[in-house]
Amino acid sequence: MISSEQGLFGEFGGRYVPEILRPALCQLEDMYQQLRSDETFWQEYLQLTQEFSGRPTPLTALPRLSELLGGAKIWLKREDLNHSGAHKINNVLGQALLVKRMGKQRIIAETGAGQHGLATAIIAARMGLQATIYMGSEDVERQYSNVFWMRQLGAEVVPVNHGSCTLKDALDEALRDWAASVDDTHYVLGTACGPAPFPELVTYFQRVISQEIRAQAKHQIGALPNAVVACVGGGSNALGAFCDFLDEPSVRLLGVEAGGRSQQPGQHSIRLHGDLASPGIAQGYKTLFLQNRNGQLGETHSIAAGLDYVGVSPVLADLVARGRVDATSATDAEVTHAFQLLMRYEGIIPALESSHALAGGFALAKEMQPQEHVVINLSGRGDKDIFNIAQALPQQEWLDFLEREVARTEQRLKESAQCPNGEEQYVSNG
Amino acid sequence: MFPTANESLKVMSHCVVGFPSLEENEHAIDGLVAAGIRLIELQVPFSDPVADGPVLVNACVKALAQGGSFEATLALARKVSRRHPEVTFVLMSYLNPIYQYGIPAAIDEIANAGIEGIIVPDWPVEAMRPHLLHMEKRGVAPILMVTPNTASARIAEIASASRGMLYVVSRMGVTGSSTHWGEEFQTYIARVKEHTNLPLAVGFGVRTREDLQALRGRVEVAAFCSQYIEWQAEHGSERAAERMAQVVQSIQAA
Repeated sequence: MISSEQGLFGEFGGRYVPEILRPALCQLEDMYQQLRSDETFWQEYLQLTQEFSGRPTPLTALPRLSELLGGAKIWLKREDLNHSGAHKINNVLGQALLVKRMGKQRIIAETGAGQHGLATAIIAARMGLQATIYMGSEDVERQYSNVFWMRQLGAEVVPVNHGSCTLKDALDEALRDWAASVDDTHYVLGTACGPAPFPELVTYFQRVISQEIRAQAKHQIGALPNAVVACVGGGSNALGAFCDFLDEPSVRLLGVEAGGRSQQPGQHSIRLHGDLASPGIAQGYKTLFLQNRNGQLGETHSIAAGLDYVGVSPVLADLVARGRVDATSATDAEVTHAFQLLMRYEGIIPALESSHALAGGFALAKEMQPQEHVVINLSGRGDKDIFNIAQALPQQEWLDFLEREVARTEQRLKESAQCPNGEEQYVSNG
Repeated sequence: MFPTANESLKVMSHCVVGFPSLEENEHAIDGLVAAGIRLIELQVPFSDPVADGPVLVNACVKALAQGGSFEATLALARKVSRRHPEVTFVLMSYLNPIYQYGIPAAIDEIANAGIEGIIVPDWPVEAMRPHLLHMEKRGVAPILMVTPNTASARIAEIASASRGMLYVVSRMGVTGSSTHWGEEFQTYIARVKEHTNLPLAVGFGVRTREDLQALRGRVEVAAFCSQYIEWQAEHGSERAAERMAQVVQSIQAA
């Protein structure tokens, strides 16, 4: 299991926060240390993931693609089949149990692709908590279907309109909210980043992925896989998939970052490989950041909103520095191709984030031997990306549909303006 | 020179380096000095200022686009500290710009630029401790922060590392919103004073003359920052300085 020395992972990690946040982080740290040695907590967590989220998620073989690519046998760990459609729910369920123990009534979260926000809104509805979700205004546009669902679930979604209007700005805003509300609010940080103990805490809850891969691989393959591949935004799904293999040197671990449009500044989110990022201290922790020489965090890009984060988990930064995890990247074009391959050959619609892992995993599989096995962590479902994909692969049919849909929505709005209580009547009439 | 303990209330104001522009920063500071301000924070703009509210966040975004940086702050400080030797300039920054410059070299350059203290909200006392001796040697005062939820033992720890002033965050939250100065605040100030003889600078939420009146006789410095930057953004540096002159006069006349 991942554990830190006072919140540090090698030279990365730590707790560089305004003094006002320190007590809340110390309280969380104490609670985390207690629950780590409390087996009943882990059992309670596993029960919740099974009954509410649908765990264990399957390990699915990809026979047609394995044959097509001609290398290793390819398997998918199906985190997309979780309730809410992504691995994010694993962490949110764990932190929800913490909120229950702390007796707080409000939760806040930041979200990029919307999957963490959606998971947070779901658990808030389930537990009767008030939820506020911060989301960069650019991401609101890119992932509007998730925004719609979060609001329907009763969460307040706050678009962040400054800076680059993406995930890093949403994270800043969530920290600001927390600074004013720590007494009654828990910040459900969505990835293995930020000040200690969040990197370790989030990894702790996501390790359920690798625990299951390990058991399923032994049962279905008869051995540990030769490689495990995951996409890397903040790093939580990758750490979840890698965690239980860290002490197995025979298992190659590969993280795939967003190569975006090019390696020019602002056109990608590559932090772990090459020399595009450098160590920095911001957003409460030390890690590799995309930044300029003055220490200003840079702009990022990815076709997948969930991957265009400017920093990366300090746990992963350390694992890559120590050579235990390898890192590569996939461009937007490679990602779109991998997305199409999985749909056409295996009938699975992946998230654009996860399609980065597919691109990296497919390339790796081609280099491997037919008797070897590679597991790719399919971190999320793709139906949330329908608008992005429709833009990436423009078709007249889609445009025609949108025009008809706009006309229908305008008609409904006119009708509801004439009969303003219509919706209430519908609800009260059951 | 920092104020001494129990001195009458002084107003500290603010400059976001690069906002509205690097050229205007100098004139704005001249205006503040003419208004009677003797303590000025020079804020290094940062892309991710997590302890700041919307006014300073937006000023930082614009300042960065206008060339604001740690080096630009040093250049500005070298000019204004020579021109206004009666004023104490304090550098306010987040840690990353200082870290990227190299912490020991940054401390040297801060001292060389005539800056007398630093406020770095995301630099906790534990991480700052290895650099305190160097700051002491170079005459750069670390002005650390305590908040209403800081435990008493930690207030003592932070106060013992601080020099010049102790920055007292008036309430939970970020810069720029209003604050109540009731009994709870008085108890908080009394608790802080149990652990230090340093003059206290109160910030986060000092926006009106009434706020200043409430702080008179209780603390030595009131940080009147976001409101000044708001005036500067809305009415220009000259009008903002006029308003600051009225603010200063209001506490002198009272």
